[in-house]
Amino acid sequence: MDGKNEYLLIFRGKEWWRGLSPEELRNTMELIKGWFDRLTESGELKAAQPLVREGALVSGRNGSVVADGPFAESKEVIGGYAVLKVNSLDDAIAIARSCPTLKFGMQAEVRPVAEECPMLAYARRVILEEQFATASA
Amino acid sequence: MSTQTKNGYMLIFRGTDWHNGLSPEQMQQVASQWMAWFKRLTAEGKVVAGNPLEREGKIVSGKNGRVVADGPFAESKEAIGGYFLLNVASLDEAVAIAQECPGLPYGAKVEVRPVMDQCALSGEALPENQLAEATA
Repeated sequence: MDGKNEYLLIFRGKEWWRGLSPEELRNTMELIKGWFDRLTESGELKAAQPLVREGALVSGRNGSVVADGPFAESKEVIGGYAVLKVNSLDDAIAIARSCPTLKFGMQAEVRPVAEECPMLAYARRVILEEQFATASA
Repeated sequence: MSTQTKNGYMLIFRGTDWHNGLSPEQMQQVASQWMAWFKRLTAEGKVVAGNPLEREGKIVSGKNGRVVADGPFAESKEAIGGYFLLNVASLDEAVAIAQECPGLPYGAKVEVRPVMDQCALSGEALPENQLAEATA
């Protein structure tokens, strides 16, 4: 291990580019490209992809409920993701804050990637605590 | 923008509260089913990446990212608990895989989203294309 951690950046927001002038679009595209190029060169960006604003939501026992979007209108909709490899959450937040599309209303969610499933870690801790309690009773 | 050449689908696991009613032993069981599912899909070449996420983090917004807010990422129906990146050819195949998610019987939801090979900005939103749309 190189001591670095992974963080998932989740880009959220409507199609913020609608309503921009051609000039603004061109400038923004260049800023975005420069942002990704810089992070790629520095080795801080491991992967990044945009998502199509369509898809499905699967729920219910055995996934019996399959609903279509809508994924376009919501302010919360995920428009893409990036995986960062940096030293700390603060570093990941600093990168998120430098994202050129924030000024158009886009939001960036910054989440540490877990080494193991948090539910499993929790269950293990509870079971250990129970065993201690039983042993010391 | 894309650092992967192949498109595919992203499974986004929604809900970080659905396991609250389970005993620790049941949680371990669901977690091991989930890991076995991930390993099988990896062996079949259908999943190329996947991670659970910590129930913490921040949301950055505002001009120059001046607003840095907390979650909520724990105990939420909508919060993202983890993701898979799938290497499959169709939405139907991705949905079929999503339907195998071991968290579904307990209330987890799975969002299935096609991955683009390039930013939407360089496609439909290009000034030239917007112009074409406007004059069509």
